[in-house]
Amino acid sequence: MNTLATRTASPLAWYARQNPKRELWLAWGTLVVFYIFFGVVFFVLTRTQPPPSPAWDSRKVVQWFQDNHSGILIGFAIMFVITGMTTMSNALIAYSMRRMSVSPAFGYTYLILYSLSAIPGMLLMCIALTVGALRPDRDPELITWTYDFAFLSFIGTMGVFLIGSLVWMLAILIDKNRVFPKWFGYLNLCNALTEIVVSPAWIFRRGVLAWNGQIAWWLNMVVFAIYTGVFIFLLRQLIQREDFGTGPLPNLAPKAAR
Amino acid sequence: MTDHSVAQVTKPGKFVPGQPDMWAFVLFETLVFTGYFGFYLFYRTQSPELFLRAQAQLDLRIGVFNTLVLLLSSWSVARCVQSARAGAYRQAHTDAVLTTLFGLVFMVSKVFEWFRQIRIGNGFASNDFFTYYYFLTGIHFIHLLIGFIALGVIFYQLRRPAPRSRGSQELVETCATYWHTVDFLWVLIFALLYVVR
Repeated sequence: MNTLATRTASPLAWYARQNPKRELWLAWGTLVVFYIFFGVVFFVLTRTQPPPSPAWDSRKVVQWFQDNHSGILIGFAIMFVITGMTTMSNALIAYSMRRMSVSPAFGYTYLILYSLSAIPGMLLMCIALTVGALRPDRDPELITWTYDFAFLSFIGTMGVFLIGSLVWMLAILIDKNRVFPKWFGYLNLCNALTEIVVSPAWIFRRGVLAWNGQIAWWLNMVVFAIYTGVFIFLLRQLIQREDFGTGPLPNLAPKAAR
Repeated sequence: MTDHSVAQVTKPGKFVPGQPDMWAFVLFETLVFTGYFGFYLFYRTQSPELFLRAQAQLDLRIGVFNTLVLLLSSWSVARCVQSARAGAYRQAHTDAVLTTLFGLVFMVSKVFEWFRQIRIGNGFASNDFFTYYYFLTGIHFIHLLIGFIALGVIFYQLRRPAPRSRGSQELVETCATYWHTVDFLWVLIFALLYVVR
């Protein structure tokens, strides 16, 4: 009765103090906030997505650094501060696997893989482009080298993500606790297959398979965006359905009852 | 409505073989490949002569042979499903072995064709056509390799002692659906790379 009265008076305070799922919601909220920042920084502030051309000569590359100087510094400063937020989302995904009927090894493997993935998947690019922006007096050939290094490390190193997706897929397909629908397991496979498709970006500087190509970047980005949107939605459902038990996860309760 | 309630609704009037989830995969992969094919056709219109010249260097006989072998593998995996449904597990096992053999023949002939093209100087980066050729046949090859894992699941389900569960039959059908997808995608790739002029 007392709890009910407190809840009515201040629902937010009740959630912060009493809701047993508050840590899970915090992790999920952090995941959403991170992806919003990620989108704004990479697509708007630094203009690194969609990627500029890999075929540019050093004069154009130096010009690109000059044009995006402030955006790169502000954007990547934000990324350096918030990179740690990825640990919350990785932990939530690992938690989803711990809730399954599968071995804990799946969750641990995923956690380690994705802890490493932030380095080739994001940080190397942020560091290399920040170096390029902060050392405009260097030899243009060196600036071009940092440019190549940044985009190839960001787009061409998908191995950790590939294996991570396969680990999650396998866990979902053999899970008996119905934590995620099986079709999401297969969607992980689709995502993993598109991670393979970006590898020719190391070879090609023009065409569909270059790092800014229609297949290596545009098509893959569509698949990745769908995949990310779907897993954010399904993680939200997982938290709603969580009963902190060990057996099959119950179905989502009708809205009024929640 | 959750996925589970959807599953409950669809269970009595099941309209697809295997898990409906696998059909979602088939649909999604088909859309992704439609994207690949769309880009191929677009680039083809940009330099039709180059594509025709390069295409002439492919041996149509190998393409036809590949297609026939995969169609046969689809036929044998379909027979495998039918036999498993009828409870004839020994026959189903034989059909799964046949499917594996056809898959291996396709794999070997594809590797042979790649080596042959590389020997005559047509590499991955030689020109736009061969970039597509290696890309499309390569990504299909990876699907084929995953198909062998699917066949492994079929073998495992067929070897389990009787009586087998309903889920066991569903898994056999799900894996067979994946194998058909590998075949289906190849037929489209064959038409685009070898036949369409």
